[in-house]
Amino acid sequence: MKSIETILIMAIFTLFLSGCVEKEILDDINLIDGIGFDYVDGKKIRGTIVFPIFIKDKPPENRVLTGESLLKKEILQDIQLQAADPIVTGSMEVVLFSKELATKSGITELMDPFQRDPGVGSGIYLAVVEGETKELFEGKYGVRGNSTHISDIIDENIRNEDLPKTNLQIFLADFYSEGKSPFMPIIKKKSKDVVELTGVSFFNKGKLVETISSDKMFFFKLLVDKYSEGLHRVKIEEGEAAIRSIRSVHHYKLIKKNPMEVEVTIDVQGIINEFNGDKMYPNLERKLNKQFEKEINQECLALVKNFQEKNIDPIGFGHFVKTQIRGFDYKKWHESLYKDLVVKVKSNVEVTEAGVIQ
Amino acid sequence: MKNSFFKKGGKDKESKDIKDKTSKKENLISMSKDYKKVIYTNEKTNIEFKIEYISSLVDEKIIQKSALPYLLEKEFTKITDIKEILPIAEVEISEDPKQIEERLFTGFVVLTISSNKEKFCFFSAQKEIGRNISVPEVEFSVIGPKEAFVETLEQNLNLIRKRLPVKELIVEETTVGQLSKTKVAIIYLQGVVDDENVNTVKQRINDIKIDQITDSSFIGQIISDNRNSPFPQVLDSERPDRVAAVLSEGKIAVIVDGSPHALIAPTTLIEFFSSFEDYLLNWILASFFRVIRLFAVAFSILVTPLYVATLTYHYELIPQDLLSILITSRRVIPFPPILEVLFLELTIELLREAGARLPTKVGQTIGIVGGIVIGTASVEAGLTSNVLLIFVALAALASFTTPVYRIGNTIRLLRFPFLLLAELWGIIGIALGFSLLLTHLIRLTSLGRPYLEPIYPTRLVDFKDSFIRLPLDAQRKRPLYLRSESPKRMNPKGNKKKDIDE
Amino acid sequence: MSVNIPVTNKISPFLVFYLIHTMQVGVGMLGFQRIIATYAGTDGWISVLLTGVILHILMWMMYKMLAIVDGDIVTVHNYIIGKKATKIVCIPIILYFCLFAISVLRTYIEIIQVWMFQELETFWFALIYLLLVIYIIYGGFRTIVGIAFFSIVLPIYILVLFLFTVPFADFSNLLPIFDHSIGDILKGSRNMTFTVLGFESILLFYPFIKNPKKSHKYAHLAILFTTIVYLYICILTFSYFSENQLQKNTWPTLTMWKIIRLPFVERFEYIGIASWFLLILPIIAISIWGTSRIIKQVYSIRQRRSVLVISLLCLIGICIPTTRSEINMVTDLTAKIGFYFCYIYVPILFVATLIKKKVKKS
Repeated sequence: MKSIETILIMAIFTLFLSGCVEKEILDDINLIDGIGFDYVDGKKIRGTIVFPIFIKDKPPENRVLTGESLLKKEILQDIQLQAADPIVTGSMEVVLFSKELATKSGITELMDPFQRDPGVGSGIYLAVVEGETKELFEGKYGVRGNSTHISDIIDENIRNEDLPKTNLQIFLADFYSEGKSPFMPIIKKKSKDVVELTGVSFFNKGKLVETISSDKMFFFKLLVDKYSEGLHRVKIEEGEAAIRSIRSVHHYKLIKKNPMEVEVTIDVQGIINEFNGDKMYPNLERKLNKQFEKEINQECLALVKNFQEKNIDPIGFGHFVKTQIRGFDYKKWHESLYKDLVVKVKSNVEVTEAGVIQ
Repeated sequence: MKNSFFKKGGKDKESKDIKDKTSKKENLISMSKDYKKVIYTNEKTNIEFKIEYISSLVDEKIIQKSALPYLLEKEFTKITDIKEILPIAEVEISEDPKQIEERLFTGFVVLTISSNKEKFCFFSAQKEIGRNISVPEVEFSVIGPKEAFVETLEQNLNLIRKRLPVKELIVEETTVGQLSKTKVAIIYLQGVVDDENVNTVKQRINDIKIDQITDSSFIGQIISDNRNSPFPQVLDSERPDRVAAVLSEGKIAVIVDGSPHALIAPTTLIEFFSSFEDYLLNWILASFFRVIRLFAVAFSILVTPLYVATLTYHYELIPQDLLSILITSRRVIPFPPILEVLFLELTIELLREAGARLPTKVGQTIGIVGGIVIGTASVEAGLTSNVLLIFVALAALASFTTPVYRIGNTIRLLRFPFLLLAELWGIIGIALGFSLLLTHLIRLTSLGRPYLEPIYPTRLVDFKDSFIRLPLDAQRKRPLYLRSESPKRMNPKGNKKKDIDE
Repeated sequence: MSVNIPVTNKISPFLVFYLIHTMQVGVGMLGFQRIIATYAGTDGWISVLLTGVILHILMWMMYKMLAIVDGDIVTVHNYIIGKKATKIVCIPIILYFCLFAISVLRTYIEIIQVWMFQELETFWFALIYLLLVIYIIYGGFRTIVGIAFFSIVLPIYILVLFLFTVPFADFSNLLPIFDHSIGDILKGSRNMTFTVLGFESILLFYPFIKNPKKSHKYAHLAILFTTIVYLYICILTFSYFSENQLQKNTWPTLTMWKIIRLPFVERFEYIGIASWFLLILPIIAISIWGTSRIIKQVYSIRQRRSVLVISLLCLIGICIPTTRSEINMVTDLTAKIGFYFCYIYVPILFVATLIKKKVKKS
């Protein structure tokens, strides 16, 4: 009994000589927190990484390095030649693709390493950049470093504004799903120290095919996220009101199978944040509701129509119909059924509060 | 028992040697300065008698006042008469010369009549030198009784007896140590205690073969089930109230003459984290403090190994906001995390060791102040990071929250293997260390009773007094693992609750 | 050939729950979803339920059988085919349990190598791990059960952490129910074998239970709990991943943990993998202990010695496969043998015992 204890202890000591594994000591590595890909030509892509250099009592400095190659890992190798410490991917926060790259060569191959690398978390954000990612990374935004700032912008917009929920996991789930197409937010460098969320881009088989601007995002979010928040301006004769939807729920219903017809019901509960008209009166609220409902119906329908034309399905009608029909055939769906799908949008808006003044 | 070193062999064999030996012994004894031999003559009967004693052990006042006047003035002819004339409780007559030495060195006076050297009379006149009962210093409590054991066995027994004045409280005494002849008392409550446990303790104590015992911890170490374990398997306490309380639960206490600490067995790991003060507080507060203590212990063992593991291998685990703090504080430090941690941990250990050796409590304060100064200086010198300094200081602090001193030492020691394993394999190494520790604890027993009870083997009822302490109402039964002969300690609750406004 | 175990070494009946559950939940839990989805798609959860039902039946059979002979698997064989034949028949069983330990530990080492330390030496890790296991086994069966107990109780928090995936889950993925044929679902169920294997260890430790009759319900409870846990994980996995994405992940459970973000821990999967260290410990310990126990009963070799030999064999076995596909082959082999052992051999034994009992009576 004693002997086994001794052997165990001795074995552990021998381990120190022979069982060691490679160390990644925190301050001796470059933690890249953002990576961006730009289009060079048909074959090559340029990768830009950014890692923060932390300085005591100061916002971190961003160090940007670039490399050109065919594969992501090769890019890292290329960049490694320029860096003093090993580059590690474990605390990545954002991955950016330039719009040109996403449109021209697609991002399918680039997605692979992010899934394969166990160091990369599932909660990181992906985004498309209008312009070059390198340029974007070279700016100086916020006090917490560029990548953190970008990820904070996306996070905030998902949480409280009009951007539908997205991250690497959701993108990949959609990417591999047959009944849904993935989407990514679009960001843009507005000035040297401002980044802006400008809209949402849609992918078909890894290539960017369509974008919508930020004012349409609200409606897109209503359609995609089961529960969502967001802000929208409604204009009526008496003035303009900003209505914040505090809670919205959507329901999909398959009402007819041949031809397929899907009814989308959207219930929005909102409060009036701002009204620039003369006076609020009871009828006005109803009027606002009606106008808001009308806009939701119109805009949502327009979005769906547009998606159908482009043959993309970011809302996931395919996935929805599949859950309703046993033995559903995706092939047929992509060929014809989706294009012929009739979508109806119904909405109920209920503005409950108008703030502290009448 | 079988290995007892007082060989009670056949008398005939030995009686021959005895005479030579007694004379030799006498010579040896008379070499000591404090050996006194005086010859007196009784005034009435003119009998010549001799008293012998060791002056350093005997209170000469007793001889002067309670013995000599009677021996000189009252009539006695035979040695057996002495029993009647002496106003001393402990007077014995014996014919066994072997007892002489033993009695002499336990503070007895030996009286022989010159005419009859076959018989001896012993009467006790022990000198009681010892300190007075004082306030507990190791297990101090803010509220509750403030008396602690002292070095005298009799006084300690008195402290316990006073708290349990029943005939069921049995005190069995044996002597241990060929040289030290230390009196060891085994105390238990008959009818409450499990006889098997008592037998185990008795047997283990009787089996002890050692020349000298200076403190109860000697016995504690020797009767432990696994002597190679850093975990103490008997609890030692300096509080008579605690001892009385656990005796009534069905445990056994061992008190050693010359030691102000009673040993309590069997015990469990959990018991080391419960302070006696817990029972003096409301149960909600007591439970809260216990939980805090357990967290403190877990924190104390694991925080620095986790620091080493994450900083050396698992940077991914560190939240984004913490990164900048950790990196900026570590950037200037030339050592890998493990050396940095070892340096600080050893510094703290040094300070503790030094503080413990310094004479007064001031020493400890100086030690802590020194710790802060050294800590700050080493951060400024770039030897350690300030984040780590906080962790190490907190871990040291947390290790001092344990109410039992011994387990605190164990906890501080445990940190080092964990540190090395963390350096080796990161959190997998910590998992390995944890599994080893767990196995060790599962295998450990105290007097053959599982050490991890009530967690494993799971005894849900015993959880009433483990991580949390439920109200006294819930403590109606004695702990299961003690296998008490009378498991109930209180009558079941009486009336139902009254209805509202009744 | 007596199976007289001293009462002090026996365990309370309820601990059977921990023993059986811990044997079933091992490395399989990290990747079984993909395998069942290959066959049964998102209807895989039905396969899980189905497996649960089958396991209950098998468990009932084993308990009946063991109650008749009042012993372990060796006693069963002695009862049916006599002592001499047992000596031969038990060899494959011994090998099976060794293989089981090998494939579990090797898979775990692979996971560490892929997710944490690429350079981790299989040999060194396995050596230390097996030494730890020997240390546990030398503590006796009670120690093994203790480890089993803690390996369930301590990592139970992980089940709660799975709820972090809910915000990213789309439960409509599970619809439509019964989109796959019964055949597909059965296939999924069959390929889940490796994940649920381990319950047959009751054949080894049955004589160590204090009141075996009483423990019967705990054994079933354990299987029920395993089924519920797998069902829970299965449903969360299928709603978290889209079907094709799931096929891309070797260890979907680990991938799911990547989304967990706690205020003090940014990424959970590393802690999860470390927790698995403790979780698979009893599996290896019970397998090796059980094997040595069979050897002791059949060939009367001291367990102290045979445990060392078996561990050495396992160590060699673990070091042989090096690539993903080779490791896969080992687990597939284990699953296949386990399948035949539990689903075919055990029922045969059961029927044979019943017949033998009738024959003996008349």
